[in-house]
Amino acid sequence: MTVIQLSFFVLAVASVASALGVILFKNAVNSALSLILTLIFLALFYLQLGAMFIAIVQILIYAGAIMVLFLFVVTMLASEADDTELHDRIPWQRWIAAILGLVLVGALSYLLFTGTTIDNGAKATGGNQLSQVVNSQGNIQAFGLALFYGFAFPFEVTSLLIIVAILGAMVLGRRA
Amino acid sequence: MPAHDLPLSAYLIVSATLFTIGVTGVLVRRNPLIIFMSIELMLNAVNLSFVAISSFLDSADGQMFVFLVLTVAAAEVVVGLAIIVSIFRTRRNIDVDEMNVLRG
Repeated sequence: MTVIQLSFFVLAVASVASALGVILFKNAVNSALSLILTLIFLALFYLQLGAMFIAIVQILIYAGAIMVLFLFVVTMLASEADDTELHDRIPWQRWIAAILGLVLVGALSYLLFTGTTIDNGAKATGGNQLSQVVNSQGNIQAFGLALFYGFAFPFEVTSLLIIVAILGAMVLGRRA
Repeated sequence: MPAHDLPLSAYLIVSATLFTIGVTGVLVRRNPLIIFMSIELMLNAVNLSFVAISSFLDSADGQMFVFLVLTVAAAEVVVGLAIIVSIFRTRRNIDVDEMNVLRG
């Protein structure tokens, strides 16, 4: 077993365990911290797959900015958030959800094992190979080239999305 | 490109497991904040499969999609948390079973 395989299994177990923590902890603060752990483990997966820029952005934006916002709201509403789980009006819902979850993961795994694989076929051809660009120009340069040549329009549209989100947050947050 | 000591399906199975945990969280929990965290978990599970497939296809397109999904997730969290806070201001109660009217 190589180092990469070993680290994959450690990361897989750790990320699934911390993801289970998100939905099993009673306290919302613990769930948020568990989600931060999951996001960091996913960033390590990205590093393992060679996506350096995405891994750094994942830690900066997700584990940094988004989760700080989450923790801020969770601590603001903490006194109420703790006892919402106590009076469950549909008690059997929990078991149905667990069964449906097992069915979903079974179906997805079945499809993954029986479907076609791209392990050794269907690679990008010509000058489009990511590894060539990374080797000749560097990691972030390869990312930037792909972003601004192939995805310039979606990139510009995200600025509109962010403006609308800021306006929405201002409208919802203003005191009526 | 990093050497692939593992098949693509290994990464996809981790991704499927994380996605399922997110779905189960949305179904089980009553606290809208934790439901939001489960939605983030589902987005991240899909991001993992995007990055894995991008690496195995040796193409940068999957990483572009992850970048766009990150932006959408940030915008979604900003608006969603603002809605939760404004609901809390008027109702003093954030159980999703109790939220059944649209007017404030």
